[in-house]
Amino acid sequence: MLEAVELTKQFKQTKAVDRVNLYLEQGEIVGLLGPNGAGKSTTISMLSTLIPPSSGDVRFHQKSTLKNPAMLRNALGIVPQELALYSDLSAKENLRFFGSIHRLSGAQLQKKVEEVLALIGLTDRQNDLVKHFSGGMKRRLNIGAALLHEPKLLIMDEPTVGIDPQSRNYILETVKRLNEEKQMTVLYTSHYMEEVEFLCDRIYIMDKGCIIASGTTNEIKNILSAEHTVEIKVEKLTEPFLHALHAQPVIRHIAVQDRVITMLSPKEVNIFRLLFQLAEQTDTVLMSIEMKTPTLEDVFLHLTGRALRD
Amino acid sequence: MISILSAKFRLFLRNPWMVIIMSIVCIAMASIIGASSEKKIKVPVASTLASHETNELLQSLNKSPSFRFELMEKSKMHTLVEEGKVEAGIELSNHDFTLLITSQTGNTFFLRQYVQKVYSEKEQANAIATHAHIPVEKAIHIVNEAKEHPAFTVKTMNFRGKHAAIIDSQMQPIFGFSLFFVIYTVAFQVLQLLKEKREGVWNRMILSRLKKWEIYTGNLLYSFMIGYLQIVLIFSVFRFGLGIRFHGQFAELLILLVPYVFSIVAFSMLLVGLVKNEQQFQALISLLAVSMAMIGGAYWPLEIVSSNVLLALAKIVPLTYGMELLKGAAVYGRSITELLYPMSILFFMGVVFMGIGINLVERKNS
Ligand SMILES: Nc1ncnc2c1ncn2[C@@H]1O[C@H](COP(=O)(O)OP(=O)(O)O)[C@@H](O)[C@H]1O
Ligand SMILES: [Mg+2]
Repeated sequence: MLEAVELTKQFKQTKAVDRVNLYLEQGEIVGLLGPNGAGKSTTISMLSTLIPPSSGDVRFHQKSTLKNPAMLRNALGIVPQELALYSDLSAKENLRFFGSIHRLSGAQLQKKVEEVLALIGLTDRQNDLVKHFSGGMKRRLNIGAALLHEPKLLIMDEPTVGIDPQSRNYILETVKRLNEEKQMTVLYTSHYMEEVEFLCDRIYIMDKGCIIASGTTNEIKNILSAEHTVEIKVEKLTEPFLHALHAQPVIRHIAVQDRVITMLSPKEVNIFRLLFQLAEQTDTVLMSIEMKTPTLEDVFLHLTGRALRD
Repeated sequence: MISILSAKFRLFLRNPWMVIIMSIVCIAMASIIGASSEKKIKVPVASTLASHETNELLQSLNKSPSFRFELMEKSKMHTLVEEGKVEAGIELSNHDFTLLITSQTGNTFFLRQYVQKVYSEKEQANAIATHAHIPVEKAIHIVNEAKEHPAFTVKTMNFRGKHAAIIDSQMQPIFGFSLFFVIYTVAFQVLQLLKEKREGVWNRMILSRLKKWEIYTGNLLYSFMIGYLQIVLIFSVFRFGLGIRFHGQFAELLILLVPYVFSIVAFSMLLVGLVKNEQQFQALISLLAVSMAMIGGAYWPLEIVSSNVLLALAKIVPLTYGMELLKGAAVYGRSITELLYPMSILFFMGVVFMGIGINLVERKNS
């Protein structure tokens, strides 16, 4: 449906987006995950024809949109990272305005506004001015404003930044519903991996302008499948035990916090037997051993050596 | 475009206070300054002339609509000036006079000009009397006759022609402050365009079914209407609230304001194209509005400015032409067709500013 081909954006000093390739199929929810400054918003701006790429192409149903953006624009709903609303207008007035610029009017406009108000849970507060809304309500309205013309494709740029968990869940559920009930295709940008993991069929991980990994959640996690993350808890931390751990070539990345030791080891090694042996030799009492499946956070750490969130 | 206008007017009605406060401040300042320059200014006079000559001269001097000359002892006159009780004092002697001032102001400038004029008329009459061998009184009479029934009239088209200069101390502050304050109101509305760009409302409009020209026209037309509304409000308060007749030119003035407000909208658009962010815009507009007001003759009439540099600068300031239009109609009694020249300059400036401004804004996107 939508496709980016070698998409690049060079600002004066920074290369914000560097040869990005990605695609969305009809009916998918695709995640674009990356830390602040990764180039997500810039990518989205190019995908939605708001800024022209320095090089590369954006294709909608196999047709380039660079010269002819109208078809994509009409099918597109965009939820910007900033709150793009009139704060001195009420929720209803905002929706009426954003509907009317899509040439909706009269009873049709009225019906869509009511429908969207219900969807985003603001029917009760529709006549209140936006400036009196909580962060979560503003975010919900920001999404609602993109839905009036029933877009086929919804592009959302960090729609849950800085709001309470309840509003966040509401938004995530709403996106899921839109996808399931209206078959809306969604590109969901975030730097929260739980959100992306919860929502998305496929994920692109972006860092410093480049896509560094892509695939389904499981595929991406399999990048780390050759290793286990092992977490053990000891009754008392002893020097000889730590020393013994370090001496083992199959154990890497040892980190100690209080009485908890975290490490990585290859899957083919029987880490349980090895740990019991070492404990016995050094008179250390093991309280627990836990094998953890890697998170997207771990993948990002593995790929870039940095944490996703700063 | 209608949707933009209706949303914007809804916003305006929700928060009209800026325009209302601007108008009140403008009306207050124009009335205070207008009233203070309405009264005649007292000028103490000392004289070294004989008493009948002094009286004669005083009589001529006191024909002034702006000054009231009062004879007193030289020492008393000096004290008044030194203590700042009056702006200026005059010492009369036979062929010339001494002007005593503590600081140069618009009033002292006019005072000097006025007294000089009275003196040269007196000298003229004396010269005629000597050459024609007639009494001085008769010579004065002849000079006055000649002034009232001139053999030919010179019609000065140039606004800054020395002969045509009329300072209307009531109209001047009303026009000046109205044109000055409307810059802020218009600029603030055009500034919303930058805010909408930053927050993304603009992007939503770009991605909608609206055409680009509709977005610009909607925003700029709204800015124009709010600015125009403010001036009409101010003028109406003067006309219908305070009973100022604008020399019967009220309707003409409202028409003449159209090109001026248009040029200010365009000027603000140019600024939007030039600045990086809203803070820069606000800093620049405060600076530029005050400079334009000073150079364009909103604070004091251009008729008293003699610096060629300033007068040349005034030619590129829209406010100059705005003042020229309003004064042209109300003070100099010119018809709208006679004022086509400044009107077309304002339209021309507006089109150029707007063209460049919109182009710059569009270029920033890529
Ligand atoms: N208009 C711009 N001009 C110059 N640099 C920009 C501009 N927009 C973004 N950048 C830079 O490009 C990089 C990517 O920014 P952005 O796309 O906003 O990242 P993200 O949305 O992932 O946080 C950042 O380093 C940012 O400073
Ligand atoms: Mg961003």
